[in-house]
Amino acid sequence: MDDKPSILIIDDEEVVLDSCVQILEGSGYPVATASDGERGLERLQTFPADVVYVDLKMPGISGFEVLERIYAQDPSIVTVVITGYATVGSAVEAMKKGAYDFLPKPFTPDEFRLITQRALEKRRLVLETMTLRREREMLREHFAAIVSHELKSPLGSVQQNLFALERELAQNLNDSQKSRLDRMKASVDTLLKLIHTWLRAYSTDLERISDAFKPTDLRLVISKSVESVQVHATRKDIEVLTVIEEPLGLVQGDEGTLSEAVINLLGNAIKYSRLEGEVHVRAREAEDHVLISVADTGVGIAREDLPLVLGGFHVGKPGPEAERGSGLGLAITQRIVQAHGGSLSIESDLGRGSTFTIRLPALPGKPPVRPEERLENAAKSQQGGTE
Amino acid sequence: MSPRKKLLIIDDDPDFVEGIKSILEGADYEVEVAYNPKEGFQALQSKPYDMLLLDIMMGRGAEGVMVARKIRKDPKLREIPVLIITGIREQIAFLFPGGPVHPHFVPVDELVEKPVEPQLLLERVSSLLTLAEARKAGTR
Repeated sequence: MDDKPSILIIDDEEVVLDSCVQILEGSGYPVATASDGERGLERLQTFPADVVYVDLKMPGISGFEVLERIYAQDPSIVTVVITGYATVGSAVEAMKKGAYDFLPKPFTPDEFRLITQRALEKRRLVLETMTLRREREMLREHFAAIVSHELKSPLGSVQQNLFALERELAQNLNDSQKSRLDRMKASVDTLLKLIHTWLRAYSTDLERISDAFKPTDLRLVISKSVESVQVHATRKDIEVLTVIEEPLGLVQGDEGTLSEAVINLLGNAIKYSRLEGEVHVRAREAEDHVLISVADTGVGIAREDLPLVLGGFHVGKPGPEAERGSGLGLAITQRIVQAHGGSLSIESDLGRGSTFTIRLPALPGKPPVRPEERLENAAKSQQGGTE
Repeated sequence: MSPRKKLLIIDDDPDFVEGIKSILEGADYEVEVAYNPKEGFQALQSKPYDMLLLDIMMGRGAEGVMVARKIRKDPKLREIPVLIITGIREQIAFLFPGGPVHPHFVPVDELVEKPVEPQLLLERVSSLLTLAEARKAGTR
């Protein structure tokens, strides 16, 4: 009996309230009424309605505001506005703002019953959608976690035994056997790294990093990151050029994960660049924020794909060397940046390249540069990348 | 010649154990294995080993940590050098807060990730054995 859907009617005309209650009598739905917006919202605190009828023209707070506040409290509640024929325009306005339907006054019992049925059906669908969405999220999370663990440890054992076999058979393997063994090890290594990325993307560790935040110099983050991708860049004859615009303030953050974020961006830039291309890393301060941008002159991202890129599991069209990613690097990067109170933005031109920009709140206070150093740095128009 | 060093591995994954055991035996170490934390701790108490190789993620969770804690509490056992071998780096940071790479739960310990390259494994084992011996000589 308790899970019967319930209905709240907010209208200043007693005759409307009375007739609504009468029409719904016998339907078994719990019904509550309120004679103005303030009372209606109050009633909603103790009477969890599935469907709320709201008169648009009432003394006190307006029907529109009531709708807004219901929506703010619980967007899954289905609202229907009650309106006179003369004010159908405002009903349309209300529906644009999220009301599900409107009930024109005067109405017949059948009209009221029909609209109520439809609104309840809508509410049922909304709740069902929410449940399904939640289930899908849980499934996705658990699936990734379980699969990763179940795959990771046997694969680790396979690799360990390949290591051992290679050592034990070292004297007896010919070149072809050796190279096959090497390829097996390389494949297993790739798989292990992929699983590690999955685990990283779904772990809750990223939410906890803020516990260990301390003032961090982004110059260090950038130089370490550039160093760590240098091998990949050299392999494709790509030059990574760094420009630090002084003065550059500190940020409150975690050096390890910030480096991870910058490495992800650099890795992508290199992956999607053509041979002998250039990748530009630039750090500067603007309006209390520190910006790190990573720009490549690579394949770029199509406009329609831009919104998908940060969502996770989006794998871009293969780079020029048919390289593909796990589709999680940017999602992880974004989570890291967001955990730092910052944001990640993308600009891209298909065929011309992409620029990813990390924007972090700067720590108030003096930038960690001595004035004379600053002059020196200003004199150098560009600071070359490592190597 | 000094006698062969005796190592104990506590790890619940027989396949992985085969993989490191053969590498260690190939380098002339004597290797014994316990496939669960309980047996492992009993073995440690029953006879002396020169070194322990300990897996962290065993059984229903991080049961290796329980072994680590018991060893740390035992004044005699805590002198044994320990090489922690684990597949999950993040969880280690969580289990030994503040020490993601070098846990230091006993005086001489080190951490490697699964799978571990033979050369790295042998390097770590030999350096831990050397450290532990130097420590022993120093305290006497």
